Amino acid sequence: MKLAFISPRWGGPLTALVLLSSPVLLQAALADRMETANAALASGRPNEALADYKEILASPELAKSSSAELWYNRGLAEEKKGESAASSLSFRRALLLDPGFTPARRQLVTVLEKIGVSAPLSWQEQLLGLVHPETMILVGAVAGWIGVMALVVLLVGGPRRKGLIALAIFLAAAGHGCSAFGTMIDPRRTAGSKAVVISRTSPVLRATPADSATSSGSLPPGTLITVLSRNGDWWYVASGSGLTGWIPSATASSLLPSVAVSSRGS
Amino acid sequence: MIRILAVFLLLGLTTQLMAADVSVSATLSRPEINSGDMAELQVKVTGAQQADVPQQVVVDGLQIRLTGQSTQVQMVNFKVSSSVIYSYIVMPLRTGSFTIPSVTVSADGQHFRTTPLSFTVLNESSAGGGATPTGAGFQPPASVSGSSQQLGRSMPRPEPDRIAFGEISCPKKTLYAGEMTPVEIRYYFDARYPVQIRGGVNFESEGILVERFLDPKEGREERDGVLYNVLTFRSLLSAVKPGSIDIAPAKLDTQIQMPGALPPGFDDPVFQQLLGGRAAFGQTRDLTVKTAPLHLEVLPLPKEGRPSSFAGAVGQFDIDAMVSNPHPDPGDPANLVVKIGGKGNFKGMGAPVLKDPVGWRTYPPTDKFDSSDDLSFTGVKSFDFTLLAQQPQHASPICQFSFFNPQNAKYVTLTTESLPLVALPGNESSGPTSANATASSSSTPNPSSTPSATPRDGDPLQRLTLRSWKTPMQRPEFLIASLSMFVATVTLAAILILRDLQARGGTAASRRKRKLAELLSRVQSGNEEAAAAYDAAIEYLELAAHPSDARNSVLGSLISRRDLLKYGTGGSVPLSGTERAKLLETLQTFSSI
Repeated sequence: MKLAFISPRWGGPLTALVLLSSPVLLQAALADRMETANAALASGRPNEALADYKEILASPELAKSSSAELWYNRGLAEEKKGESAASSLSFRRALLLDPGFTPARRQLVTVLEKIGVSAPLSWQEQLLGLVHPETMILVGAVAGWIGVMALVVLLVGGPRRKGLIALAIFLAAAGHGCSAFGTMIDPRRTAGSKAVVISRTSPVLRATPADSATSSGSLPPGTLITVLSRNGDWWYVASGSGLTGWIPSATASSLLPSVAVSSRGS
Repeated sequence: MIRILAVFLLLGLTTQLMAADVSVSATLSRPEINSGDMAELQVKVTGAQQADVPQQVVVDGLQIRLTGQSTQVQMVNFKVSSSVIYSYIVMPLRTGSFTIPSVTVSADGQHFRTTPLSFTVLNESSAGGGATPTGAGFQPPASVSGSSQQLGRSMPRPEPDRIAFGEISCPKKTLYAGEMTPVEIRYYFDARYPVQIRGGVNFESEGILVERFLDPKEGREERDGVLYNVLTFRSLLSAVKPGSIDIAPAKLDTQIQMPGALPPGFDDPVFQQLLGGRAAFGQTRDLTVKTAPLHLEVLPLPKEGRPSSFAGAVGQFDIDAMVSNPHPDPGDPANLVVKIGGKGNFKGMGAPVLKDPVGWRTYPPTDKFDSSDDLSFTGVKSFDFTLLAQQPQHASPICQFSFFNPQNAKYVTLTTESLPLVALPGNESSGPTSANATASSSSTPNPSSTPSATPRDGDPLQRLTLRSWKTPMQRPEFLIASLSMFVATVTLAAILILRDLQARGGTAASRRKRKLAELLSRVQSGNEEAAAAYDAAIEYLELAAHPSDARNSVLGSLISRRDLLKYGTGGSVPLSGTERAKLLETLQTFSSI
C-alpha cells in the first residue's frame, strides 16, 4: 500500500513504528480469537474450543513464537474431551515456552497422575520455575558485556586499579557464565529431539523398525521420550527410565509443534 | 502373661522378617463389576513391616481410597514371612473399562511399583441377571435397621468339656456396600490350662474389608461352671461386593498345655492338690481356635437419587463449617474448615464439594480425623479448604456433602451456609478493606482489574504473551546484538588506544623517526655550533644504527672530534661545509643500514 498522503519525511519513522508495534498488533488479534475459543470452553463446548485453539496455533504468525496460555487452554480443552495424552503434550508445550507457568505445571501433574505416568521435577525445572531462562540469558549477556567494556576501559584508558579490574573481570565472567548456563538448561535447546507418546494405547518398543521385531517393553501414553534416530515411519526413542527401542512415529508427537519445526528448519 | 508371650513371639518373628526381601503386588477382588457395586484393591507388601502407600489412587471415573491395612504372617518350613496388605475400596463413578495404574509403594527406603490392572464397570442392565444376586431382593430400610438391633451370636453355647472356643458377633447381618459395622471376636480359654497365642486373628474373606484389630482385651467369664480367660478382639467390617457373603471362621493359632498321664507315684490326689490342679505333666498341643462362620447379606448402594456430590460416605453424618480467619489481608488465603461428624466409613469418604466458588481460587482440602472411639467408627473429620480471593469477596462459598444413610436407605445432601468472610485479591491491596467498601466495590467491578485476576485452575486464561520457540542463542537478533556488542567493545578499545597514542605522541617507532629527522636537520642546518652538531650526530648514530664494531668505531671518532671541538678550539663556530658534508655522508651510510 502506498502512503501517498504521507510525506517521505515521515515515511521512515512510520514504517519503523509499524514494524515495532507488529507484535503488539498480533497479540491483540490473537487475543480476540482466543476469547471466542475460551467462551466455548467455559460454556462446556470443548470440541468447538479445541478446533478454534488448533486453528489459532497453526497460524503462520505463531511459527516463530507462540503463547503458553494458548497451549494451556488447548490442553484444558483436550483434557475435557478425555484426550489425556494429547493434553499432557499441550501442557508440556506451554511449559516449554514458559517453564515457570505454574497452572500448566499443576495440570500436567494432574493429567500424568491420571494416566499413571510419573514425572518428577528435575533440578533444572525447579530452577526454571523461579527464573525464566530468557531472563537468565539476556540479563547475563547484558551484565557480561558491561563487564567486558568496563574491563577494556580500565585496562586501556582508565586508571589501572586492581580492585576495579577484578570487579570487571568478575562481572564479565559471571554475566556470560549465567547466560551460557541459562542456554544450557533452557528446555527449548533440546526440544527438537523430544517427543511425547500421544496414542491411546501404549506403543510397544521394538528392537528393529518392524512390527514383527522383538519387544523390549512399552511406553505409557503421555511419556516424554527422546528421539535418537528416524527411519521412515519409525522412530528410535529412549525414555527417561532408560528403555530404548523403535516405535511407529504416528504414536508420538514432537514436543515442538510442526509449525515451529518448519520455522526452525528455515 | 499371654500378652508378654505374644510380644516375645512377635519380636522373634520381626528379627527374622527384617532380613526378608521386599516384594509388592496388587490384586483386585473382581476385575469386572456392575455400576453401583464396589470392588476391593489389595496392595500386598511382603517382606516389610511397614510401607508408605498413597491414600488414594487417581483414576478418572473411579474413586479408589485406602481404607485400612492388615498383617499376614506365614511360616513355611520354619521360614517366617510377613505381608502387610493395604486395602482400597474401588467405587465406580461411571461405566467403562479402566486401567488402574501402578501404585508406588515405599518400603525399607526403596520404591516399588505394582503392575497396572484392568478393571471394567458394566452397566447393571447389560450385565445379566445373575451378576447381582441381591439385586432382586432389595431389602426395605426398616428390615435393615431392625436387624441391626440384635446382637447375633453365631456360636452355640460351649460344651462344658471344651478347653477353648471362639464366638463372633456382628450387630448387622444385612448391610450396604461400603457401610461399616463393628465386629467383635471373643476367644475363650479354659483358665486351668496355660495358653500361648501364636500370631494374630485370621479373619478375612473375599468381598469384605476388615480393619486392623485393636489390642485384645483380657477378661474372665464363667460358663457352665467353668472359668474361662477371654480375649476380646474388636474391629470394623465393611463389604465391598453386593450379594451373600459367607465369611470363614475367624481363627487364632494357640499352643495349650494339655493335661497328660501322670507318671507312677505322682497320681496321688494329694500331690495333685499341691500342684493346684494344674497340668504339671502335661503336653503342649497346637490348637487353632475358631469361631462359627458369619453370613452377611450385602445390598448395593441404590443408583436412584445418587447426588453428584456423593463421594462414598455411608453412615449418619452432620456438617458444620467455620472460617478460621474471616478477615485475611489482601492476597492472603482464607481457610474454610468443614467438619463432618457422626458415624460411618470415615476412611472411605471423599471431601465435601464447594459449590460454585466464583471469584475464589481453591485447592484440594487437607483432612484430619479425630476419632471419639477406639475403632474410629465415630468421630469428626475436618476438611480444611484454602481459599484465595480473585475478586473482592464478602462471604465464603457454600459447601455440600452427600452420604448414604443405611438406616432409611436414602441419600442425604448436607449444605453449609455461606459464612461472613471479607477477602480481597492481592493486586487490590490499595483498595478499601472494610466490609461495606468491599461490597460496594464488588457491586461495581472495575473492568481493568478483571483480566489481571488469576483464574482458578482449570479455567481458560484470557491474557496472552508471545514467547519464542528458540532460545536466545538460536535467534538471529540475539546473535546480531552480541556481535554488535563485540564490535562496539573492539571499537571502544581502538578509540581508547588511539587516544592514548595521541597523548603519548604516537608510537615508539614514529617518535624515533621524528627524533632522527630532527637530529639530522640539526646536523644539516648551518646555524648549529660545531660541538652541538657533533652532539646531534652522535645521538643520531646511537638511535639509527644497531650496535656493531663499525658503528662503535665511527661513534668513537665522532666523540673524539666533538670533545676536541668542545674542549679545544672551534667548538663555538659553525661547522665548515666540507666537514658537514662528510659528517652527513657518514650518518647516511649508517641510516641506510
